[in-house]
Amino acid sequence: MSTLEPIQVGLSNALLAPERPLPPGVITWNGSDPSVRFDVYRNNVVVSLTTALAEGFPVTRALVGERFFAAMARCFIADHLPSSPILSDYGDALPDFIAAFPPAQGLSYLPDLARLERARVQAYHAADAPALTAQDLACQLANPQRLSAARLALHPACIVLVSEHAIVSLWAAHQGQGRIEDVDLRRAESALVLRDGDAVLVLPLSLEIGHFLVALAAGAPLGEAAEIAAAAGPDVDLTQAIVLLIHYGGIAAWHTPGDL
Amino acid sequence: MTQSRAIQTTTAAALALALGTALTFGNTAIAGEGAAKEKCYGIALKGQNDCAAGPGTSCAGTSTVDYQGNAWKLVPAGTCEKTAAPTSPTGQGQLAAFKDV
Amino acid sequence: MTTKSPTTIAVGIGLKAEHMPDIIADDTALDFVEVHAENYMVSGGPALRQLTRVRDRFALSIHGVGLSIGGAAPLDQEHLDRLAALLQRFEPAWFSEHLAWSSHGGACYNDLLPLPYNPATLVHVCDQIDVVQERLGRRLLLENPSTYIEFATSSMDEGAFLAEVATRTGCGLLLDVNNAYISAVNHGRDPWDLIVALPPAAVGEIHLAGFAEDRDAVGDRLLIDTHGAPIAEAVWDFYRRTLRHLGSRPTLIERDQAIPPLAVLVAEAQRARSAWVDAAAWTEAAS
Repeated sequence: MSTLEPIQVGLSNALLAPERPLPPGVITWNGSDPSVRFDVYRNNVVVSLTTALAEGFPVTRALVGERFFAAMARCFIADHLPSSPILSDYGDALPDFIAAFPPAQGLSYLPDLARLERARVQAYHAADAPALTAQDLACQLANPQRLSAARLALHPACIVLVSEHAIVSLWAAHQGQGRIEDVDLRRAESALVLRDGDAVLVLPLSLEIGHFLVALAAGAPLGEAAEIAAAAGPDVDLTQAIVLLIHYGGIAAWHTPGDL
Repeated sequence: MTQSRAIQTTTAAALALALGTALTFGNTAIAGEGAAKEKCYGIALKGQNDCAAGPGTSCAGTSTVDYQGNAWKLVPAGTCEKTAAPTSPTGQGQLAAFKDV
Repeated sequence: MTTKSPTTIAVGIGLKAEHMPDIIADDTALDFVEVHAENYMVSGGPALRQLTRVRDRFALSIHGVGLSIGGAAPLDQEHLDRLAALLQRFEPAWFSEHLAWSSHGGACYNDLLPLPYNPATLVHVCDQIDVVQERLGRRLLLENPSTYIEFATSSMDEGAFLAEVATRTGCGLLLDVNNAYISAVNHGRDPWDLIVALPPAAVGEIHLAGFAEDRDAVGDRLLIDTHGAPIAEAVWDFYRRTLRHLGSRPTLIERDQAIPPLAVLVAEAQRARSAWVDAAAWTEAAS
């Protein structure tokens, strides 16, 4: 609409930039400076989005402190306004933003820690899907030579993370599990984030299993994923990986080439 | 070629063994080693769901004033100070000074 | 006056995630609850399961905060589709949105921004509401916003604008009594002007909430719609007067910040029930 467009362009431009003048035609009943009143809107946008990020990244926020987090969030918001009004989707881009944010360069583990927190929110809201049970999978043993070529679809609420840093221990330390001081940040760690009933669990994995599941999640066939796991380290316990997946309903589908 | 085929055969056998064991002893494994490991790391956080839900919307405004773009030098000052940060020269969360614009 | 007053008023609260376990478990004295549409636009998981359980116990109102009906651009069809799916799934008793815009040029501001009220914007808003009601196949209740600035290009009062939107589109109105009070104070008007301008039959729901108080550049009161405090006494008075004028309307207590225990909000909802008893008695006495 021609009468709304210019004023909404002008107000949008002024929302994230307090120094920008308001578009013409913004008035107040008592002749007071409309920009001071418009500050309420400026404030609403920044504070509400900062609060949204803080709620989605509580450990990231605890690590850097409230003041740093708010300042970082403000920089993030200026670059990445939400593209949809669904706030549970807001924050996908924060981990990469942190990785490129100069003041956070000293905390090399922070982007992956933020990815872990993001994964928890994504897992919580992920689609529901039936999972394959041990009974469903028993038939796969009839043709063991075909196992290597099988591809698994992980449940939508299963997210695998592998980090060069001890993000799982660090996150756990913020849940009262272990001391922050004792976390050896140089230790690479892996986790499987998944939904169990109404709860979101963070299950620590060995790095080998972490790489195995990352490969499966990326669509690699079982055999290739097993070789990737073997290359990642000596302690490849595929049984445990499969047990974990079956127990937590992590396998949504099992495709063997040739099957319809 | 031969070596690759050998690896594939080994992998297929390992997979069959793993799947077979998992299907046969799956619940036992979880009740034993899996659960113990979970307990050890202790990160099965029932009852701490709220934070997993992430942010919710509001149709309200806020009276907290925080939109001001004051320039300051940002330095993380939270629990990161308790960690032994190996990548920083001082061993702490020492950061490049950054002027917020 | 021969109209017989209804003996009851439906009261509810805006449901926050914090209160979800309590509201599912407790025998709460509420008639309905309201949730924000956007919080349930998720693929799956506990949120939708919990809302299903809530829906089994209470009448449900779904309140959208992101449609940007007052936006210059055409409505986001994807968002409308999501809304349609949500409403189809939960079949709420009421669906409401705001007379405001919240996104522009692909960016969402997560705030309800004001627009000028004049014949041209009226046509635009009515067109948008036609699209919404057609796509959703149901009536929308449009909420009056709280505003902090005005526009030189406004030539209509908010009440006249809303009344005309309701008449032209057939939509209903969600009268936020707190917003009416806030905007009146913020723009030096009498809040009652808005109430009497609205066609009473169009008002399908009332909102009540608390505000914070600030000052503008010349020191005049500037009220901010924080939903972060108990409802002000002045707003309770204004609410009772509104009920005497409109009659019983489903009334919702909104609290989005500094969220107290569920019982505190339920007590505020009970106070709305009492306000209706007072208003009804007053109306009887006056007739």
